[in-house]
Amino acid sequence: MTSQFLYLTNTRMVNLTANAGRLVARREFAVSGEGLEDFERHLRNMDDVPAHIITDLAEEDFRLDTVPHVSARDREQIIARKLGQIFRGTPYKYAMQLGREGDGRRDDRVLYTAITNPEVLRPWLEAIERLHIPLAGIHSAAVFSGNLLAALDLVFPHALLVTFTPGEAVRQTYIRDREIRFSRLTPIDLEEGQPLGAMLAEETTRTWQYLDSLRHFGPQDRLEVCVLVHPKDRPAIEPALRDFAQIQYRLLDIEQVAAKLGLKPPPLGSSAEEVLVHLFLRRPVPNHFASPELRVNATRRSARILLNRASMAVLAGGVAWGGYVASQMVEADRMDGRSTQQLQSINREYDEIVRSLPSRGVGGAAMRDSVAFYNGSIRGYPTLTDFLFPISEVMAVHPRVRLMQVAWQTANDPNATPVLPPSAIRTAPPVRAIRRPGEGGTAPAAATESPDLPFAGGRFQVAVLEGTVRVDGADFRSALGEVDQLAADITKVPGYSATVSESPLDMRPGTSVQGRLGESEPATSEARFTVRVVRERAAP
Amino acid sequence: MSTVFSAEGFRALRTSWILLALAVLAAVAVGVGGHWITERDKREGGASDKRVREARTRLDGARRERDNLAESAEVFRALVERGILQDERRLDLVELVAELRRRHGLLSLDYDIAPQRPLPGSTFGSVDVLSSRVKLRARALHEGDLLAFIEELAHSPRGLYPVDRCVMKRIADDAPTTLRPRVEAECSAEWITLKEKKGAGRAG
Repeated sequence: MTSQFLYLTNTRMVNLTANAGRLVARREFAVSGEGLEDFERHLRNMDDVPAHIITDLAEEDFRLDTVPHVSARDREQIIARKLGQIFRGTPYKYAMQLGREGDGRRDDRVLYTAITNPEVLRPWLEAIERLHIPLAGIHSAAVFSGNLLAALDLVFPHALLVTFTPGEAVRQTYIRDREIRFSRLTPIDLEEGQPLGAMLAEETTRTWQYLDSLRHFGPQDRLEVCVLVHPKDRPAIEPALRDFAQIQYRLLDIEQVAAKLGLKPPPLGSSAEEVLVHLFLRRPVPNHFASPELRVNATRRSARILLNRASMAVLAGGVAWGGYVASQMVEADRMDGRSTQQLQSINREYDEIVRSLPSRGVGGAAMRDSVAFYNGSIRGYPTLTDFLFPISEVMAVHPRVRLMQVAWQTANDPNATPVLPPSAIRTAPPVRAIRRPGEGGTAPAAATESPDLPFAGGRFQVAVLEGTVRVDGADFRSALGEVDQLAADITKVPGYSATVSESPLDMRPGTSVQGRLGESEPATSEARFTVRVVRERAAP
Repeated sequence: MSTVFSAEGFRALRTSWILLALAVLAAVAVGVGGHWITERDKREGGASDKRVREARTRLDGARRERDNLAESAEVFRALVERGILQDERRLDLVELVAELRRRHGLLSLDYDIAPQRPLPGSTFGSVDVLSSRVKLRARALHEGDLLAFIEELAHSPRGLYPVDRCVMKRIADDAPTTLRPRVEAECSAEWITLKEKKGAGRAG
């Protein structure tokens, strides 16, 4: 971004053009004579380049003051009133708030500065006004020159920065603890044979005396005088400068300073305007003297740039969003195409599968139902042989027991019980239980069988085993134990459970027991019993 | 601020303000239009995904049916070969029973075949499960013969004869040396056949 700096002294106007933070052009005009016309002609070619006027004038006055430390709003009012009182006849005035006093009420320190003679600026400002040059501000070189020592890391309690200005003048700016306190511009008017250094020594000594009269120094304080000078002027200055207890001189090589600040190429003379403008580019300072009316073109230009940038940003955002939407559309199209392909592929496979389903002369549903019926009701249907085989193995270890009858059936309900008419026993024991009518014996098998009963799926097999157990003499106890053990052994077979339904001799208190013992009793007899056995088919 | 936001300021910056307004309008139009398009794409994408999911579910179902049918086909083929899907051929059963009796040396065999009726408790949409109740009463010298007879009948390769009841008992014998039946059995079985219902669809 291009900007121009109009460095105004009492005799010269130097126009420095900066681009991208570097000084790229320099024009110098005389303040008197045809200088103004030349300046205006030059300015016509730069009518859209914002301008900063940097003043380095003898008419700049500086006053140090203190105001009570009050609220910011009150302080501004106080300062504005005082500024108006001190500098009545000029619109170009500025108040810079410094720090606070170290003792007492700790008042705020304020530096008032103004260009006491507005006429020195008027012709230049009129030219700028005529050409509608955007004036960004009017700045005092003295005010911001204090930044130079800080940028060079030269920080002293009391420093006097001495710079040369275009048009043969020297500015002395007193800086105390980084705060500007005073500045004065003196024309270089050498007497016959007087070297520049002697003149500087006289002027700086005079300045020290002035400051000392204002009680800026204590007995031990020393003023560090920093003179910005080009090497070619050094021989004319250095020999005349003698250090005292109160004053010490430091010559700052302007080429070294330029190198440290990044100013290329370095200035060709001791004049400090290029260094100060470069310093301004590095560390811009606020407007000091220009009123809002003077800055209207620059303000509107900045606003126009801001608005245009905002427009570009909004447009860029819109374009970015549009690009995002476009990419999403492309992605959506791609996904849609992929979905269509998937759908076609799936439908194709589905059609192939449907076409390939077997029929075997009957419908697929009929086949499914047929197989479902077979798998659910017939596959693994139990058989009597499978049921009896484990039981016969158990019976083999109970030789006293003899199986007479088996009534077996498949069932969906484990409580179902097949009917079994009792067998007649030839050698019944002499002692037996008398059953009440309807107890024990079961109805004929045919009585419970009906063609309308649901087909039993065969999950359960239920059987009633009727048998006899040999009783030796009157040893019913072992016969009862034998039958109980038989039931327990059957229960040990996986999937089987067995309970004694009718005991060889029912010993319950509710039953009648009849004994017919004669003169001679048989050595053995056969006692009848029944055992109910349930087998559940293991889950598949 | 008054320099910019005054009537004169607006006049001076008219072009920039108009440009900004147009840019905002264009951006809003692009934003709203883009949002509408992305929402539409999202909806259409969702519908497309749903269609693919449904098709995939249908395909999975068809695959399962194919696999089930492939497995079922083998069972079904065996059932067809056993004549389950034919009409009841009673002569076949008469011949089968006679053959089994001869083979297992049964001393006597009585049987009754009841009229065919739908098998109670077996209802399917595409086939009728029909059954004839068969009652058998057989006598033999040894219970092994009876059990073998019943076992072979139940596992006959021609037809389904699940035996669901049996009572087997010893016959009292005063003269154990004579050739007389020693064991008697009364059993019941269902003779099951399947018949496709009229109008039962293939896809079911």
